[in-house]
Amino acid sequence: MVIRTRNMFKSRRTLLRNRWKQALAALMLAVGAVMVGQGLFIGAKAEIAQILLERAWSRALDGESAPSPWPWADTWPVARLSAPGHDEDAIVLAEAGGEALAFGPALLAASVAPGSPGTSVIAAHRDTHFEFLKDLVPGDLIEVEGTNGDIIRFRVTHTDIVDAARSGIEPIGGPPRLALVTCWPFGGVMSGPDRYVVWADIVEGEVGS
Amino acid sequence: MASMHSRRDDTGQGWFGLAIAVAILAACVFVWADAQADELGPSDNLVRLSEINEGALLLKTVDDGLYIPAPLVATDIALDVSGPVVRAIVTQRFTNPAETWVEGTYVFPLPEDSGVDRLRMQIGDRFIEGEIHERQQARQIYEQARAAGQRASLMEQERPNMFTTSVANIGPGETIIVQIEYQDVSRLSDGRFELRVPLAITPRYNPPASDMLLASYRAGQPQGSRVADAHRITPPIMHPDYEPSEALRLPVTISIDLKAGFELGEVASLYHATIIDRSENGRAQVRLADGPIPANRDFVLTWRPSDETVPSAAIFTEEWDGQTYLLAQIVPPSSLSGPAPRRDRETIFVIDNSGSMAGASMRQAREALVAALDRLQPGDRFNVIRFDNTMERVFPNAVDATPANLDRARVFARGLEAEGGTEMLPALRAALRDDTPEDDSRVRQVVFLTDGAIGNEGELFAAISNGIGRSRLFPVGIGSAPNTYFMSRAARMGRGTFTHIGQVSEVASQTAALFQALERPVMTNLDALFEADALTEIWPAPLPDLYFGELVTLTARLEADGGVMILEGELAGETWQQSVSLADAQPASGIATLWARNRIRGLEESRFTGAPQEAIDAAVLQTSLDFHLVSRLTSLVAVDATPARPTGEHLASTDVPVMVPEGWDFEAVMDEAEPADYYDAALTGDVLARLRASQDPAAAPKNSDGIALPSTATPRGLLMLIGLILMICALVWMVTHEERRLW
Repeated sequence: MVIRTRNMFKSRRTLLRNRWKQALAALMLAVGAVMVGQGLFIGAKAEIAQILLERAWSRALDGESAPSPWPWADTWPVARLSAPGHDEDAIVLAEAGGEALAFGPALLAASVAPGSPGTSVIAAHRDTHFEFLKDLVPGDLIEVEGTNGDIIRFRVTHTDIVDAARSGIEPIGGPPRLALVTCWPFGGVMSGPDRYVVWADIVEGEVGS
Repeated sequence: MASMHSRRDDTGQGWFGLAIAVAILAACVFVWADAQADELGPSDNLVRLSEINEGALLLKTVDDGLYIPAPLVATDIALDVSGPVVRAIVTQRFTNPAETWVEGTYVFPLPEDSGVDRLRMQIGDRFIEGEIHERQQARQIYEQARAAGQRASLMEQERPNMFTTSVANIGPGETIIVQIEYQDVSRLSDGRFELRVPLAITPRYNPPASDMLLASYRAGQPQGSRVADAHRITPPIMHPDYEPSEALRLPVTISIDLKAGFELGEVASLYHATIIDRSENGRAQVRLADGPIPANRDFVLTWRPSDETVPSAAIFTEEWDGQTYLLAQIVPPSSLSGPAPRRDRETIFVIDNSGSMAGASMRQAREALVAALDRLQPGDRFNVIRFDNTMERVFPNAVDATPANLDRARVFARGLEAEGGTEMLPALRAALRDDTPEDDSRVRQVVFLTDGAIGNEGELFAAISNGIGRSRLFPVGIGSAPNTYFMSRAARMGRGTFTHIGQVSEVASQTAALFQALERPVMTNLDALFEADALTEIWPAPLPDLYFGELVTLTARLEADGGVMILEGELAGETWQQSVSLADAQPASGIATLWARNRIRGLEESRFTGAPQEAIDAAVLQTSLDFHLVSRLTSLVAVDATPARPTGEHLASTDVPVMVPEGWDFEAVMDEAEPADYYDAALTGDVLARLRASQDPAAAPKNSDGIALPSTATPRGLLMLIGLILMICALVWMVTHEERRLW
């Protein structure tokens, strides 16, 4: 009798404790799932946005000024960037509302239009659109198509690692150059102050259409 | 024994596991929050320009587009009220809290129809007076001066009711005094004049309306909406750090010299305790009773004549640059406010259920619509149209207001949920489409419930202007920060009135106000007649229709003073006429500025009736330059000719005695204490480290840091890593736990 009572008592306490642990485990599972979901969503958003941007881009080529890729967008495509040797291709957005980077590479508002005298600075996330920057080496070709349909060719000269606050990039003045910017190091999970810059000079006499 | 052993083991393992789990969870939440904050960008006390809802001196930081609000030590507002004309002098004192030379941007809201025509600035012991220039030219002058190390300031119009002042080369610890002057008009409602001084403040968690135009997806959204369908617009939600706290409440002193132009009856401040000294001749001095007030709500002063039937007209003139400028406010006949013979109506309700309306706004709009439906009577016709990025009509065409039809509309209204984008144009066109344009038996009214979170105002104004016909448009602004610029302009173009519903509790009173406008007779075809050759220009042109409780308000430029002005209008089928002797006009200052401001507004609005853009620009520019007004095309710029302080010399500090120039009333400001401790606490360490130091102007190798680069890492990897670890921990634990129970 005594033993049975004690057993009953014990099993109920165990049961209670198990419930707690189960709830905690379930909570961890749920939180983990939400976080993984968010991570996937960031990637999916970057991919899907580019598809919508393709359509807005063709409207931009048709002469529409600042075509909105989706009705509530706060940015618009300004160029198409491609790296033919690496099979990479992305629509570049105007850095207008500050959220452009979630959807594609952004041409910094403080810099100049590609092909104009000075440095065009295009930034994108290291784990989405600009993951391929790590593969670029001096001599690689980069093509930038403007809204007028002209393709401007740049050739990679060198790469650089700088501090975000003291980039040393002077956008105004000098020959037309391109600076592609993303976070450094690649594959890192924490964001830091370092930025990876791929420098490219314009290839003269190779403006095609 | 076995059971004892097992139990002890079990307990130990359980607690150990629990502790580990809690630790992991806490660490994850911490890192997660950090990742989120990192994606947000602004943390600490940093803000974006679009998030500023009150006057603040913003200091540029290394993050492009992010600013630190500098402490605003004290504000003094002196108002000179002559009749309905208000001259406001706003004096504010700031201190650069940093150890470096900085460039600041001062952002401030003003009443929508006010005209800013003066900026003066004191930096350290220097005084700078602003000059009017074409906008581009003004910016060039400013930037040259900045590069040359001179102190300079620039005031530009951001939006019709929002202005910015940039200040270059402010030394460490220097005090800056900014003085702005603007011209405003008090408004009359219910026989009572009302003067509103914007001290702020839409609640900070509500972005200014035009921010919503730009913002759609924001990283700062609540987590729930991020996993919801991607078509959803949620207005940006401000980081909790930006929300007002005690530390942000700024001391303000206000003094008003009220010259009403008639015997004063009740004079009252709606929200603040005041001391009112009356002198004869309808004059009163108003000041705050309990010293400085916090800038957390607008200051509103109202006054009414002692004998409400006496004043039928208030006429003021100003001689300016060889011309006579006239401001007339004429009280319409009492029949306008009397009970109206009710006319049947066709009312089209348009309700915005786009994503930006989510939450309280949607509830307010639903309630307002249901309340409005209740006011319809047999004989009326109506329809309800809802829109987001799609559009839906309850009935294909307007139907009779039968109980069955009304019930159907109510059910529809109650079922509305906020989602989707904002495509207002098709809905507006559908609402303005008039099937019976010749029908005189009914008045046609379009009631438009929206927050106005749209970017294509131009198209909409054009649609209203072209399609209004005999319809009248009554925009109802929903939410605490609707796009009032859009609404009030739409109301003017649609010849209706603008109603604002800021809270659910206001639905009843505001819909009542709306229906007063809808149900009372309207004075139409209003015109002012002058003697031959007396008038050169009158604004607004044409004069707007007059609704219940409104005054005829007009500004005109005259060849000569004296003579007679005759007002004509149609009211309920009869012609109303009133003659006003201009010889009785009282002299007042600021009338020319008000006329110019009205002219600019009229010119800007003529764009939507097809006037060529070049002609508008030229006329707006010329008017702004002539009248020293800040506008879309002009800015005030001030450059200090004195060379900046040389290197090595001791830098100015706040204890440098400050000269007060003649005519400047700085006493209230000067009496204020130094920045309170909470500012020091708020603006140290990390925050100040993010300040973008401008070079000491005398040392000045220019801008060697290059441009600041944005953050280009998503928290994707981190989120997925931590998420996976959490899930694996949980799964492993669950599985082992299952097994243990099997034993």
